[in-house]
Amino acid sequence: MKGVLLSGGTGSRLRPITHTGPKQLVPVANKPVLEYAIEDLKEAGVTEIGVVLGHKGREEIQELLGDGSKYGVDITYIVQGNPLGLAHAAGCARDFVGDDDFVMYLGDNILKQGISELVESFQQGDYGAGIALQEVDNPTQFGIANVDDDGNVTELIEKPDDPPTNLALIGIYVFSNAVFDVIERLEPSWRGELEITDAIQTLLEDGNAINSHVVRGWWKDTGKPEDILEANRLVLEDKDLAREGRIDPGATVQGRVELHETATIEAGATVRGPVSIAENSVIESGTYVGPYTSIGPNSTLEGVHLENSVVIGDSTISTTGKIVDSLLGRGANVGRADELLPEGRRLVVGENSQLKL
Amino acid sequence: MRIITHTCPQCGTIVSANELESSRVMKCPGLSCESVLRFDDLSDEEQEFFVNHREQYRL
Repeated sequence: MKGVLLSGGTGSRLRPITHTGPKQLVPVANKPVLEYAIEDLKEAGVTEIGVVLGHKGREEIQELLGDGSKYGVDITYIVQGNPLGLAHAAGCARDFVGDDDFVMYLGDNILKQGISELVESFQQGDYGAGIALQEVDNPTQFGIANVDDDGNVTELIEKPDDPPTNLALIGIYVFSNAVFDVIERLEPSWRGELEITDAIQTLLEDGNAINSHVVRGWWKDTGKPEDILEANRLVLEDKDLAREGRIDPGATVQGRVELHETATIEAGATVRGPVSIAENSVIESGTYVGPYTSIGPNSTLEGVHLENSVVIGDSTISTTGKIVDSLLGRGANVGRADELLPEGRRLVVGENSQLKL
Repeated sequence: MRIITHTCPQCGTIVSANELESSRVMKCPGLSCESVLRFDDLSDEEQEFFVNHREQYRL
């Protein structure tokens, strides 16, 4: 079993964060989203992984993952170029996959329970594909699967008006080698892409059994800023958080707080977990860091009230205002304007930024 | 849709034909690989097929 990890896409819904890097490297609880996928694949016994790259962020992704040895896996890079669809991305991996089966994992997805059960379920039968499903409240917004009593997929419907189930396809699939010949027969959809749902539907029509596995626990597609915050909250909720850094006498630290050995919480600061604080970051006196916040590396917080937020790193935040539900890109600084005249906020805001003042 | 790729003989990085065709000549995108990859590295049949169906490989 091999792994194909999709790491392309433009990340347009995460602008301006993705103006300077790929969406798969946005950190959740101070770890790039893509690393969660690598760990899930390894945990499922998949150690030969093809990482499919688009146009954006190729070098950054390769710089992070390297040859995979630091994760205990072996990585081959596959350059898809134009984003011609998930089935095209899979097709580009044909020479890498060879005669094996493979797991295809969307690199901006993150899920609680991993993929071991999905892989095991696929391997227990003679299936053309296995798909991960999750129950959703709004099935008309998703690709939906209809399944029989044995969990075999009988039908796939894209955003149905009258959904037969509330089981949505999430971005993780297992394929037999048969999918490659199916992809060769596919034609681009109306949007010019080779659709993976068309490939699965064709496998089904060819008489292949399609296994399904309903994922328990949470799953997030981290495509939008609010998804990053939600994923950050979910991961911090579950993660073991170790306090290894310096907490000065006179600092108040409550709940579960991950503090890197080189990070500091100074006297007069209050940190209320779950919180993650990365290397070389300092929480200064008068600062409040509230639950579900991740502070990236090399950041300094001076007197700010910050909660339910992700600071990616290399930031100085000294405003006396309260910052909540926010995603701050690398190197973003938020100062104070209290003593400045005329009164008012001073902004240098990049394209596609979103502010609520 | 036929998907044509080329594998770098030095580092094993796989590059799609649409990427090779858009650059014609490119440094291998593999990590620290100094190879030069060319659209001409594809077989004559693959090049001809790609050129004849170029529109399929564009968005």
